[in-house]
Amino acid sequence: MKILQNIGEYFILMGRTFSQPTKASLIRKQIFFEMNSLGLGSMGIITIISAFMGAVITLQTASNIDSALIPDYTVGFTARQSMILEFSTTIIALILAGKVGSNIASEIGMMRVTEQIDALEIMGVNSASYLIVPKIIATVIINPFLAIWSMFIGISGGYLVAEFSGVVTTDAFIEGVQLDFKMFSIYYALIKTVVFAFIITSIPAYYGYSVKGGALEVGVASTKGVVTSSIVILIANYVITQLLLI
Amino acid sequence: MIELKNISKSFNGKEILHGIDVIYEKGKTNLIIGASGSGKSVLTKCTVGLIEPDQGQVLYNGKDFTAMKLDDRKEIRKKIGMLFQGGALFDSLTVEENIKFPLRMHASMTEKEMQDRVNFCLGRVDMSGINDRFPAEISGGMQKRVGIARAISLSPSYLFCDEPNSGLDPGTSILIDNLIKELTEEFQITTVVVTHDMNSVMEIGDHVIFIHKGNKHWEGTKDTILKTTNKELSDLVFASDLMKKVRSLG
Repeated sequence: MKILQNIGEYFILMGRTFSQPTKASLIRKQIFFEMNSLGLGSMGIITIISAFMGAVITLQTASNIDSALIPDYTVGFTARQSMILEFSTTIIALILAGKVGSNIASEIGMMRVTEQIDALEIMGVNSASYLIVPKIIATVIINPFLAIWSMFIGISGGYLVAEFSGVVTTDAFIEGVQLDFKMFSIYYALIKTVVFAFIITSIPAYYGYSVKGGALEVGVASTKGVVTSSIVILIANYVITQLLLI
Repeated sequence: MIELKNISKSFNGKEILHGIDVIYEKGKTNLIIGASGSGKSVLTKCTVGLIEPDQGQVLYNGKDFTAMKLDDRKEIRKKIGMLFQGGALFDSLTVEENIKFPLRMHASMTEKEMQDRVNFCLGRVDMSGINDRFPAEISGGMQKRVGIARAISLSPSYLFCDEPNSGLDPGTSILIDNLIKELTEEFQITTVVVTHDMNSVMEIGDHVIFIHKGNKHWEGTKDTILKTTNKELSDLVFASDLMKKVRSLG
């Protein structure tokens, strides 16, 4: 029953968030702030994780190919497909759910318990719109760029491993990366990224906005926001994949 | 003027407010006093629309606020300033941006006009020169004063203060009390102060309402409160040794 109540409250909050928009001039400034804070602030962690994941995928694929019938370019092909289809979208979304999601839930939660949200309401401001819309728009815009950056860095990481470890030649790796490339894979990845961006921001925002109590409850809301958004990302990943690829 | 008619509110079946009728007059400092958990804050939140009462009406100059749609309420809310218990300044904004916030939302002012208004409001609360500081960089008392500056930035007709003295030293408390009183008289604002600080009651209580177990138990002024025979009110007012001595002195 609690789950149904949460789902109902989430949709009511989203309805309120988008029904009475705040002044565009104020939201615009916030969007740029959030793009910098939530998006560009995650570049470092995305770069490090993507580079190492690309490198490890390359090493693992190469070490698992025993048959001489399987060509060497399979390593580059696997690295590309893994990064584009799953890692740079879903896994990065799960990592951002932890980093960005907890940030959003705790920020909005603290605003709730310190009466800053009440102050906005008293001023006649739709607090849900003012606080949540810029975060959603910012992540929906910036996250596809982060995903593309992650793909580039991951494949580059694989290339560097090929270059320095010698598990596969760089020529074979590049051939695999270019083999049977379909632009639809990128579209599919970007569609997923946009949906995940909405989930990463809106669900933790709901938990933060609904906080009642003090610092302890803000911590609980932050954890719930991260866990729930991670589960919803996995479900959405399955649904989108079923709809677009099967 | 604000008029509350038969305001009742329950949470999870427990009645917090029971049929409260009050009139807050213009240009007066109206104090709501009562023990913790008596319903003071809930009454104030019902008055400003942060909580919807289960029944009753809140009338702002005769206009029924409770019956208004959200968009119509905005017009009233533009005229409301509120000082929250913890100041409720926006952490991510500087003092100046905090005070400019309601102006950006509701006033059609140039940047220069807004700057002048900010400086006027900060000057009025004796806080000039801290424009670029963030709330975390100033003391609790300063945050309260900046909160007042933000509350008066749109020249409100109604000012609500939720426990303005909590967490402040006696000197700063008196300063805040006097500031509220001065602003009320200077701008002819209808001011409502929630407090359980008896010093505040004696300093600024033009009109005092005592809430006990969700009911309006007593109503009077700072002068009549000392002569009250109401037992529950006496227990609250004369709880301290100092107030007992004041009573014994007549």
